[in-house]
Amino acid sequence: MSIQALLTEYGDKYLQALLTTWRLTVISFAAAFLIGIVITVLRVCPIRPLRMFGDFYVQIFRNIPGAALLILLVYALPYLQIIFPYDACVLIATILIPSAFCSEHLMSGMNTISPGQIEAARALGLTFFQMIRRIIIPQALRSTVLPMTNLLVATMLTTSLASQVPMRPRDLTGLVSYINTRAAGGVAAFVISAALYCATALVIGAVGSLIDRKVRILR
Amino acid sequence: MSQSETPVIELKNVNKHFGDLHVLQDVSLSVKKGEVVVIIGPSGSGKSTLCRTINRLETIDSGEILIEGEPVPQEGRKLAELRSRIGMVFQSFNLFAHMSILDNLTLAPVDVLKIPRKEAREEAMKLLERVGVADQAKKVPAQLSGGQQQRAAIARALAMHPKAMLFDEPTSALDPEMIGEVLSVMTELASEGMTMLIVTHEMNFARQVADRVIFMDGGKIIEENTPDAFFEHPASERAQNFLKTIRDH
Ligand SMILES: Nc1ncnc2c1ncn2[C@@H]1O[C@H](COP(=O)(O)OP(=O)(O)O)[C@@H](O)[C@H]1O
Ligand SMILES: [Mg+2]
Repeated sequence: MSIQALLTEYGDKYLQALLTTWRLTVISFAAAFLIGIVITVLRVCPIRPLRMFGDFYVQIFRNIPGAALLILLVYALPYLQIIFPYDACVLIATILIPSAFCSEHLMSGMNTISPGQIEAARALGLTFFQMIRRIIIPQALRSTVLPMTNLLVATMLTTSLASQVPMRPRDLTGLVSYINTRAAGGVAAFVISAALYCATALVIGAVGSLIDRKVRILR
Repeated sequence: MSQSETPVIELKNVNKHFGDLHVLQDVSLSVKKGEVVVIIGPSGSGKSTLCRTINRLETIDSGEILIEGEPVPQEGRKLAELRSRIGMVFQSFNLFAHMSILDNLTLAPVDVLKIPRKEAREEAMKLLERVGVADQAKKVPAQLSGGQQQRAAIARALAMHPKAMLFDEPTSALDPEMIGEVLSVMTELASEGMTMLIVTHEMNFARQVADRVIFMDGGKIIEENTPDAFFEHPASERAQNFLKTIRDH
């Protein structure tokens, strides 16, 4: 089938799949971002067991393939009587893995803060949490807009894991499989999805650069 | 002892090691209210460490540090509260890079002392006026010259209404033409009666404003005297040699 024919027949399905991919991406990234911040705070806090937990968390989820994690959630956990709905399984995988990378970016963002500023904050009587909230996190975030933009794109691509479970509505990759099992969509079915992923990534990249230029810290 | 005689800062037999290095060796000193004490000595002699133990940015191994007669708290809110009342000015300014100069001044008064934001802003503007950088209030630190940044950093410390100010080589990172503007702010502070402990190599400034000069070397206080006596007739050979090396510059 030609791209045109595919769009005529499956146009509304593509739209629905695009919105599903966007929805998964936004939810995953927002949650990964918050968890990433919390994990990062643990990794720099004064309490050693919490620091160790934070490092351990990142090591695990940074180094585990998304597909393996999804298989674990969908097929292994039910043996322990833990059963999540399919979309929850996908979301857990697409949240945990990016959250580890988010924390890694924030840690490198923190390294751009001169130790003297931390000393100054302590000397002014700020508590650990005041320092985290007012000095460390804002600077770490403002210096990692571009890596975070890349992480958002990577998170979007990771949501294609949704195609591996029978989840409805389908995401962009799931729709490609679906079309190919029904009709001879061939490469064209894939090309449409790929174009939609790319277009989204380009928009994310452009917005990211704009934000970066606006918030980058003059040093 | 009556209140007025209690020193603002008092160190009694303070010892501190970094590993095998004995950086502070039985250091005792006191700074009375309104007094200006200058610490001078070669690099690596422990001057910065001494300053930093006073608000416990560095812990000590033994001895005692008292602020207005009270021991420095070990940790937690009490320690933060004590730190908030001791101003500290660093060699490298250490202004918060992501905030305007004005926000640098209001952050701790609002967050730590819980002063209403509007009031904190008004006071901050007055302080910036006083150190001569009010016109830079909206800029971020990197847009200011070193001298302007250091004056803003002094204003940031003053915004906390400190009982005493610690200065650790406040002009050492500055281009020569900017040293004067910072020293003149400090001279004015001294004349207004601020209690100050200053690490500096600026001899003319020390002679002008110090009530006492302390010479440190190898983690010990070697001698302590009035500035005139110290600079004219240093008693120890180490002080004589040190003064010769900085005068020859
Ligand atoms: N955090 C640290 N860890 C190990 N050694 C340190 C540390 N800070 C300072 N020192 C050492 O302690 C000695 C005194 O340092 P410092 O107090 O900075 O001296 P000064 O300010 O007089 O130049 C130096 O030998 C320095 O290398
Ligand atoms: Mg020093």
